[in-house]
Amino acid sequence: MSAIIKTDRLTKIYTMGRVQVVALKDVTLSIERGAFLGVTGSSGSGKSTLLNLLGGLDTPTSGTIEAQGKAISRMNKDELARYRRHEVGMIFQSFNLIPSFTALENVALPLLFAGVAKRERRQRAMEVLDKVRLAPRRDHRPSELSGGEQQRVAIARALVNQPDLLLADEPTGNLDSRTSEEIVRVLADLNQRQALTVVMVSHEERLLREFSSHLIHLEDGEIFEGEGAG
Amino acid sequence: MRLSDYIEQSFTNLWKRKLRSFLTTFGVVIGIGALVAMISFGKGIQKNVSESFTQLELFNYLTIFTDSALLRLGDPDIRQEESTDDGSKTVLDDKVIEKIKGMKGVEAVFADIRFPASVKFNQKEEFVLIQVLPSELAASKLMKLRMGEPFVQDDDLALIISDSLLSRLKVKEFSSALGKEIEISTLAFDFSRINPMDLSSILQGDTLPFARESYTFRITGIAERMGFGGPTPLRSDMFIPPGVAKGLKTLPFSNLWDLFRSPKQQQGYALVNVKVSSPQNIELIKEEIRKMGLRSFAMIDHFEEFKTGFLFLDMVLAIVGMIALCVASLGIVNTMVMSILERYGEIGIMKAVGASDRDVKKIFFFESSVIGLLGGVFGLALGWVVSGLINQVVNYFLAKQGVPFIQYFSFPWWLCLGAVAFSITVSLLAGIYPALRAARVDPVVALRHD
Repeated sequence: MSAIIKTDRLTKIYTMGRVQVVALKDVTLSIERGAFLGVTGSSGSGKSTLLNLLGGLDTPTSGTIEAQGKAISRMNKDELARYRRHEVGMIFQSFNLIPSFTALENVALPLLFAGVAKRERRQRAMEVLDKVRLAPRRDHRPSELSGGEQQRVAIARALVNQPDLLLADEPTGNLDSRTSEEIVRVLADLNQRQALTVVMVSHEERLLREFSSHLIHLEDGEIFEGEGAG
Repeated sequence: MRLSDYIEQSFTNLWKRKLRSFLTTFGVVIGIGALVAMISFGKGIQKNVSESFTQLELFNYLTIFTDSALLRLGDPDIRQEESTDDGSKTVLDDKVIEKIKGMKGVEAVFADIRFPASVKFNQKEEFVLIQVLPSELAASKLMKLRMGEPFVQDDDLALIISDSLLSRLKVKEFSSALGKEIEISTLAFDFSRINPMDLSSILQGDTLPFARESYTFRITGIAERMGFGGPTPLRSDMFIPPGVAKGLKTLPFSNLWDLFRSPKQQQGYALVNVKVSSPQNIELIKEEIRKMGLRSFAMIDHFEEFKTGFLFLDMVLAIVGMIALCVASLGIVNTMVMSILERYGEIGIMKAVGASDRDVKKIFFFESSVIGLLGGVFGLALGWVVSGLINQVVNYFLAKQGVPFIQYFSFPWWLCLGAVAFSITVSLLAGIYPALRAARVDPVVALRHD
């Protein structure tokens, strides 16, 4: 199977005052299309940095990222915005929904930047909300939804532009164990039924072991041990 | 992002923070309102002056005088020196008037003759300077009649009186004065009373060489007092036709120096007014008059000075308005920066789901320009309403003093459009820094969970 995204000696160094912090060091990995890659590691191990780099939110200090033949690491800001808009969807621990927007408006947000007309935005957002079984709650604001529901709205938002890759940064960090499992199940379901490639960062190794097809472990910015991620 | 989305988003975002948006916009409203009121006042005054000039055909008038007349206005000592210098100066007499009448583009020429007289009417007496006015000019636009008719013949014992003089004569109902007879008494020289060897007795008033002569005229017309009556060739409260004036015995001086000047009878008229058919002809006619050794003065030249004055007035008024607007634009900067701090996370989210820096920049630009648009439109309305109120109040008080209603404010279309456009421009300028700052938000930092 072909790789949907691969990195080559990916390094990210943050400069904080005079101190240089190596967040990621020479990470080389290749993620196959349709894989469910789990990334574990203690906090500060570079998991989120890796995800931000893969999602085009951040740029590496050195090394390359190649997504479907395109060098993300050499893109300018506009190209990165377009990449985030169309090729990749992201979900976060704190859901990152806009509090004043309804569920439907939150899901439709990426379509706004894609220049989709209002009527179509609504329609497409409804379809995706329906997929995560939240259609009845479309007019609720995030504060009126439970944590699990909010994360499902976030998943819907990540999927509305039909990306091939979904990046999940600690998606269960703010959820109880039952809801956590439910959310990971939604991701696993999307991975299997719709061939969506998922990269999920979590420190809950148990969940990752159960649902992911591959698992890597990050320690101090380096891949410490990997299972089938090569 | 689509244009309609930007517009909708900015209204939605501003609506979310209603009070703050309202206060910020209100600041712009006041700024634009002040600017609009100030400029419309400057333009209104200018429009009034230039309209009354045009209406009265003031641009069509030229005043001619001699060098000596000019000197007479100054220090008499200089005059004495100069007058011995050259005695062959052109004299403004009837021959010269005939010559000027023959020039191309000249419609009418009339000497500026005014003489003192006392007017008796309604059992009241007033002292006035009566102006002699040819009948064709009494019927021209220059003469604004409130009621009645101008005199038609130059030898008619008829006159036009101004409403303000009637007021001074305690006439309540002006129309009642029409057609009535009015008595005019002039003072005339009586040579039998004068002894040139004994000037001191004249100066002491013991033997005044004057006699009083009375004439009865009919009031045919009542003239309106003019709002900007100062510089017109009509400078009087009473006008009589020249044919009649020739028959009046009077003292043809208005300046004490005339009395003691050599009685050569060569000095001619002090001033002659010329009416031309069009302001374009004025320069040519002025040139011809200059060649005749005479001096001239045209209102249109004076108007250029007015314009400079108006420009200055406009600038002062605009600066006052601009200060208000500057304060308002700082309000916009403040509001937008606050908004960015509050929406830091939101900006990060928008970027994470695919908003480019340009999208974010535009969202904030649109928001500040909506503040500018609303501020401009409502500011214009505020300026219009406030200046309308001021206009009413000022006119109410001035009307009590007999001043006719004047529109002191003017709202030309360019001011209305310009005010809104300017408001949007200022708001956009105020939005530059906040927009750039919003675009610089790092999504990784903004989304970092705490």
